Parts: sequence; C-alpha cells; structure tokens
Amino acid sequence: MPLFRWVFALADSTGRTGGSDAAFATVTSLPNLDERALVAEAQAGNRAAFEELVRRYDRDVLRLALNLMKRPEDARDVYQEAFLKVYKNLHRFRFECSFYTWLYRIVTNVCLDHLRRRQARPEDQAPEIHPNRMEEGPRDFFDHQKEHRPTLDPERSLLGKEIQARLARAMERLSPRERVVFEMKHYQGLKLRAIGDALGTTEETVKNSLFRATRKLRNELAGLR
Amino acid sequence: MSREPKLPRCQDVAPLLVFYTCDELSAEEREQIVAHLATCAECSAQLSEEDALQQAIESAPQTADKFDSSGVLLSHCRSELSEALDELAAPKEDEGWRFFAWARQWMALRPGWSAAALMLVGAIVGTQAFQWLPSNPLVNPGSPVNVLADTKIPEDKLDKVEISNVKISRSTGKVQVQLNAEQPMTLSSDEDPADTRRLLTFVVSNGDRFDADIRLNCVEALRAAAATDEQTRAALLAAARKDQNAAVRLKALDALRDMVAVAAVRDALLDTLQHDPNPGVRVEAVNLLVRSIEAADEAPETAGSDLPAPGMAPQALLPGGKGAEQRILRALDELRQHDSNRYVRLRSAAALRQIALQDVQ
Repeated sequence: MPLFRWVFALADSTGRTGGSDAAFATVTSLPNLDERALVAEAQAGNRAAFEELVRRYDRDVLRLALNLMKRPEDARDVYQEAFLKVYKNLHRFRFECSFYTWLYRIVTNVCLDHLRRRQARPEDQAPEIHPNRMEEGPRDFFDHQKEHRPTLDPERSLLGKEIQARLARAMERLSPRERVVFEMKHYQGLKLRAIGDALGTTEETVKNSLFRATRKLRNELAGLR
Repeated sequence: MSREPKLPRCQDVAPLLVFYTCDELSAEEREQIVAHLATCAECSAQLSEEDALQQAIESAPQTADKFDSSGVLLSHCRSELSEALDELAAPKEDEGWRFFAWARQWMALRPGWSAAALMLVGAIVGTQAFQWLPSNPLVNPGSPVNVLADTKIPEDKLDKVEISNVKISRSTGKVQVQLNAEQPMTLSSDEDPADTRRLLTFVVSNGDRFDADIRLNCVEALRAAAATDEQTRAALLAAARKDQNAAVRLKALDALRDMVAVAAVRDALLDTLQHDPNPGVRVEAVNLLVRSIEAADEAPETAGSDLPAPGMAPQALLPGGKGAEQRILRALDELRQHDSNRYVRLRSAAALRQIALQDVQ
C-alpha cells in the first residue's frame, strides 16, 4: 500500500468517514467521481461524499424550492428537510433510478407537503413575497445583493415584472401538484416522464396537471399579448 | 387502393398544442399536428398564442433569481445543513437518562405537584421498603438480633470492678448489685438485666477476685437463669468445678440440680464426684446423680434430646441412656470402695442399693 494511502487508512480508523477507500476518495477524487460511485461512498458513511452530492444538486433544489414556496425562509426549510431525509434514507437507495430522480422525488414531496400545509392553514403562514411588490415594503438582506444576470434590460425588465406579477397571482390558483409540475417543466427543464418519476405518478397524470396549469395561466396572462 | 392517413380534427389538435410548444409529443403526434396546421389557419393562430405564452413564461424573472441571485441564501442553507448533519453524527444522549431529563423538566414546570409526588414517594418507600427486604431482621421477629445496648460497665472495665454487696429479694427475686467505684453504682435486674447478669456471671466465673459471700450470693442470684441461659449455666459449672470455696461449689451444684439431664452438667457432677476435695460436695454430687437416675427410670427415655422438653421436669431425662447410667454406677462403686471419707463411701453404697432396688421394682 502506498504511504499516502496508508496514512489515510490510518486516519480513517479514528475519523468520521467510512472505509479506507472512502477516506482516500475524500481527499483525492471526490469531485471527479461519477454519481454512482459518489452515492456508494456516501452510503458507506463518507460524509464528504454526501456533501459533494449535495453541492452537485442543491442549487437546483433551492431554486425549485424558492420558485414554489415564494418565501426564502420556507425554501430554507424545504432545503434542509429534503437533504436530511436524503441523508437518513440514503442506505435505502438501490440504484433502481438515477440519484437525481430519487432526490427530486424527495424534494417535490417535501414541497408538496409544505404547500398543502400552507393551503390547509393559511392563517399560520406569512404572506408570499412577490419580487415586484417588494419595493413597497421593507427589503431584506437578500434584496441588497447585486443582480448578476447580464441579459436584463429596462424594457424587458418592466414587461417581465408585469408578467411575473400575473404569473404569481395565477400560480396561487394552482393546486400544489399543478404548481410543482409547471415549475419543473418550465423552470427546471425536466421532461414530463422525469417529472412523473419524481412525483411517483404516470406521465399521463403529469400531462393533465400541466395542461390545467397552462390553461389557468393563459387566462391570467390574456391581456398581455 | 391506398388510403391517406386520417388527419386529426381541430378539437383533437387544440389540447395537444400546449405539449407541441414544449416538445412533449411523440414523433407520430407531432407529424399529424404539423400536417393539420398546414391546412388549418385557426389552429395555426392558436399555436402562435401558445408560443407567445410559452415565451412570456420563460422570459419572466423567476422568484429564485430575485431571492438568491448572489448565492448567499444557498451558502446559508449549506451551512445550516452541515450543522444539522453534525448534530446527527454526535453521540446520542443515553436512553436511560431521557426519563430523568423529562422528569426534571416536568417537575420544574409544576413545583406544587412535584412536592406532593415526592412526599408520596417518600411515604411509600418509608413504610413499604422494609417489607421488600427479606433479609431485614427487623421484619423477622423470630430471628436473633444483635443489639449493642448502652452498657454501664464496658467489657474492659469488668476486671477492675469491686462489688460491695449483692442483695436478692426473696419475694420478688429482684437482684441488686452495689459497686464500688469513683461514683458508687447500683445495678438492678429490673432496670439493667443484661448488665446485672453479665456482672454476676463474671463474678462466678472469676471467683478469686471476690469474697466468698459475694460469690455465694451471685450463684444464688443466677439460679433462676440457669435453666434458660447457657452463659449462666457455663458460669455455674465453672464455679462447681473450680471455685476455691466448698460452699460456693456446693451452692453451684445445687443451682444446677434441675439440669442433670444436660450432659455438660452430668459430666461436671461426675468430675466433682471423683475429684472434689470436699466430702460434703462429693456427697451432694452423689445425691444429684442418684436423683437423675431415679428420674430417668420413672420417665420414658427421649433419645437425642439434650434439653428437657417443654412442660417436662428437667430431671426426668438422662441423655446418653444406659451408657451414662453405667458411667454413674461405676463412679459410685469406685467411691464406695476407695473414697477417703467414710460417709461418702456409705452414701455411695446406699445410693447403689437404692438404684438396684428401684431396678428390681
């Protein structure tokens, strides 16, 4: 055994990570591992491998949560709850689908739970913050962060704000499932089959949800065209 | 004859336009729609609207862009998740102590109920705990208990005790022992029975240090306890064998007269019979032994019993049976032939005749 590998094996005997291979992979090649190897490392108890998995997908997860929940604090809750569920149940993942699909199944379920809870008890929830209305009220820390998107121009921004306001109102009329399907289709770019896999339902059901959602949005945005 | 594929109708195409714009149709469905759109202006116009809607949706700023364009929220989320994972990895609190943690929290919030509950628990433990301890002698009255009571004369002070008088009440049997000390002290069998008996047996067992009168009174005072207390009986036996004063030895034998059935007493009588220097003491020993044989002949023998049964006269039994009796007869015969005192020889001969006559009867 090469000396550096032996050192990592020794360190692993008292550390938090899993097998010696996991310790070795942690410092040498985790970012280069493919999804399957990375999941296997995480399943073996390699905390660094799990955190690498999180970093690969958490940007999309948070984006999905923000777009669906419309509130940063709710999105943070969804993010944490979803990844903790992944961490606790990772040993049950049997590679019968891609890790990405399995992850999105958990994330969408958490989002649906939150949205249904919000629908059931609207009095317990703070009102959603719509970005175009934020100028009217106090701005939080995140509002002061610099906008990096280079494609914005004033005219498009103005039209976009109006569309977004209408969209936000229309989205409130969607059911949680329609909302998730619409978000995953249009803003996550997933195919309907993948959305069905993530939601644990058929492609046909997802199609119906997307069709209903689009019809509601068309009615809301009718005057803008 | 070949047939053209049937084109879909407008009402069939309209629901599919949404999926046509977002590329979610099969190749066959797409082909049919393209063919229909080529001939249907109305559906083509509807498709334009769908395209415009699609562009509007996709060009609208997204909530995520507004709230986390700089990635600060993402880094917050990562940090929180890392802390949560650390907590999960930390060793869990011992299961056994969770109840106490819960109880502590419960009691802190309810001081009144907590005080009442603690008093109730204390009362239950205080009243019931002894019953749960099977080895506790306090709940087993039949078992002996060693109790060190306060004593007026410690064990190490007995050697230095000086006794001025021993009084015995003939009517009540009460014994009073007056001690000479820096502070004169009187022990009473009523008030200090244990101390009184301990002092009396010490005097009887260690006769050289005390006057003969004192020893005589002490032997007399112990007479009543000889049948029930083994230490008292041992002290009287020691006095019967070793006391320098014949009157004391005689008194001690007399105190043991009702316990000849006890082997140790009988052995002491035989020893006295053969070795005591005083003829009067030897004669008294002869009388007691003859009496024991007479009593044994009158009552059925109870083998294996060293002490008289309750309700039965102590002299009614002679443990050792015929063997013990033969030893007594041989000792009497020895006295009859060889004792230096004529009266002792005559008394021994009379005793043998008396025993022989009783056997004939």
